[in-house]
Amino acid sequence: MPATGNDDGRGGGNGKLPAERKPARPFYFNTSEHLLRISRQRAATLGELHETLRVCDDGSIFQHTFRTLQEHHFIRQGFSNDFAHWSLSACHEPILAEQLASVDVREFTTIEGLRDRMVEIVGEFIGTHPHAAVRPAHEPFYFCSADLVVLPTPFVSDALPGFLDALRKVSVHSIHHHFIEARLRLHEMSNDFSRWLEEEAGLAKAAEAVERIDIYTNTMEGVRQQIAAIVERAAK
Amino acid sequence: MDTKTAPPANRTSSTKAETATGSRAANPAAVETAPVAPPPAEPATAPTRADSPLPSNLLAPPAPPPPPHLDDYESITGSAQIDALRFLAGELKGKTIKMVNSTSVGGGVAEMLNRLVPLLSELEVPTSWDVITGGNDFFEVTKAFHNALHGSPYEFTKNAQEIFLMYNEQNMQRMKFEEGMIVIHDPQPAALIRAKEKTNARWVWRCHIDLSNPHPQLWEFLRSFIESYDAAIFSSQSFARQLPIPQYLFYPCIDPLSEKNKELDDSFVQKVCDDFGINRARPIVTQVSRFDRLKDPVGVIHAYKLAKKYIDCQLVLAGGGAKDDPEGAVVLQEVKEAAGDDPDIIILDLPPWCALEINAIQRASTLIVQKSIREGFGLTVTEALWKKKPTIAGAVGGIPNQIIHRLTGSLVHSIEGCAYQIRYLLTHPEFAHRIGMNGHEHVKENFLITTNVKRWLLLYRILAKETVAS
Repeated sequence: MPATGNDDGRGGGNGKLPAERKPARPFYFNTSEHLLRISRQRAATLGELHETLRVCDDGSIFQHTFRTLQEHHFIRQGFSNDFAHWSLSACHEPILAEQLASVDVREFTTIEGLRDRMVEIVGEFIGTHPHAAVRPAHEPFYFCSADLVVLPTPFVSDALPGFLDALRKVSVHSIHHHFIEARLRLHEMSNDFSRWLEEEAGLAKAAEAVERIDIYTNTMEGVRQQIAAIVERAAK
Repeated sequence: MDTKTAPPANRTSSTKAETATGSRAANPAAVETAPVAPPPAEPATAPTRADSPLPSNLLAPPAPPPPPHLDDYESITGSAQIDALRFLAGELKGKTIKMVNSTSVGGGVAEMLNRLVPLLSELEVPTSWDVITGGNDFFEVTKAFHNALHGSPYEFTKNAQEIFLMYNEQNMQRMKFEEGMIVIHDPQPAALIRAKEKTNARWVWRCHIDLSNPHPQLWEFLRSFIESYDAAIFSSQSFARQLPIPQYLFYPCIDPLSEKNKELDDSFVQKVCDDFGINRARPIVTQVSRFDRLKDPVGVIHAYKLAKKYIDCQLVLAGGGAKDDPEGAVVLQEVKEAAGDDPDIIILDLPPWCALEINAIQRASTLIVQKSIREGFGLTVTEALWKKKPTIAGAVGGIPNQIIHRLTGSLVHSIEGCAYQIRYLLTHPEFAHRIGMNGHEHVKENFLITTNVKRWLLLYRILAKETVAS
């Protein structure tokens, strides 16, 4: 759906202030819940991690990257994905850990792309540090995956004030669902909030600003507050 | 060691949670939902603070409070979490669950079921709870099984096998399995699965113990039953076995409204400290655990002594088990000897009904230590994190699931490491505060009873869909 205006503070194409504008389609706040499944795969060395990363379920890649970010939504820094954490805490390889931690899940719109990047990083590291590939880790890496269930919430917004109100009330899981997991659904470098703000509310600049929020230096609660602040400014 | 007698205390002190949910006490329905009676009073002979008698109010167990209702959790988890539970439960309307375990009182499983069963029923997913029966011979065999599954040496005999199967058969004949999901807890009733083919239910085995290093023959025997279940649940990834059925991870949980975890008025915390001679004006380092070598209480004393060379603090070792466990009494004696005559080491051997007092001691503490050498999941760590306490713990069992080093607490591998973390956290209060807050959020996200209710609802939904699909 094309954008209906812009967020230059003058209300966009239909002449109304953004806060008064009626988006064509309401925003339905959903959330997702997950049940953790223990896989039969495990890695006791970095070499085994490399091999298993190639063949494990998509659900395992999702769990140890997207999902673990959600599980640790309250940590502002120092935790990005389970592979990086394990490389540091169990394998004592800070260089590899930093490289894995620098992978931003939001740069990927498919699990396959994310898997390839992880395999590439670990592969390059053990290629240049062959002794590290076979050294036993302090603890094995246990591959898990998530069975995901999407649930509706009571919140549906057909205008910006209602959107802001709901944004402040939904759980951080709902924020994660729309802001981070959305890429895997949309298969594009965007998120549900930005898409709705641009396509339905005509707030292209706000949509872009929301998309640029850094999830790795924020808690998910901080992300919520930043989105709210951007939308609030745009609605004035 | 300080052996002065603690003065009597008034245990009727109000708590914040009681104030907040005081109307529950007048709700007869709340009382009726409690599925089991409290454990019978035991002779109260446990001493406190080394060899002194307990305050008189602690000599017998108090009546248990009524279990909380779902709405009582909303102020803790937020309404979105409760809404999600209601939505998930709504989709399961008309479906029923049966839980089966081996005891209605005592132990973590019964404690958890006491809370879980009423909450699921309140969500209109009627949940019943059956307890298997057996003679002393059965429970002797299953106790030995329990230890052997944890890796202890064991001679697995034909006789033990027959006793196990005979009592499972008796219970199978006695019980009805009319519910939609049957959940069998731990190995004792595992052979009830032989009733599966006469039912339409989904059968789930919930294993609460660490199976990472089981007795091989015994595990092969049990495995033949476990493989017939539709799913198995473990408390940690590292506790699981290779099985051909789906395996799920359900972390153990705490109830934030239980006596052990609810908010307390500071006046009550102060009174408990006064009763036990704990000085809140000075740093307090506490380990709460039974007197067991696997909890390494002597190691904690050594770590405290190393740390005390650099910074003033008191050490509280609050535990129990020394009266009903001969080995516990030996360990308590070792602890006293290691403590020597240090007046800042306070050793409390408390009876099991002192949950409020344990709660108060944890809340009064500056740091909590759980320097276990081997551990199950380590719910005392969960309790400490929930109370926003900077926590230092051994990197064993399920503890690394709870403590992410330097983010939600500090993981240690030695006495020296423990001593250093005590020094560091006592001298860096801002950092200690931050990891304490992170730890609280981690528990809120993963280890509360409400999250566990959600996992059961999700599992039922997933298994029910598989039934339809098949």
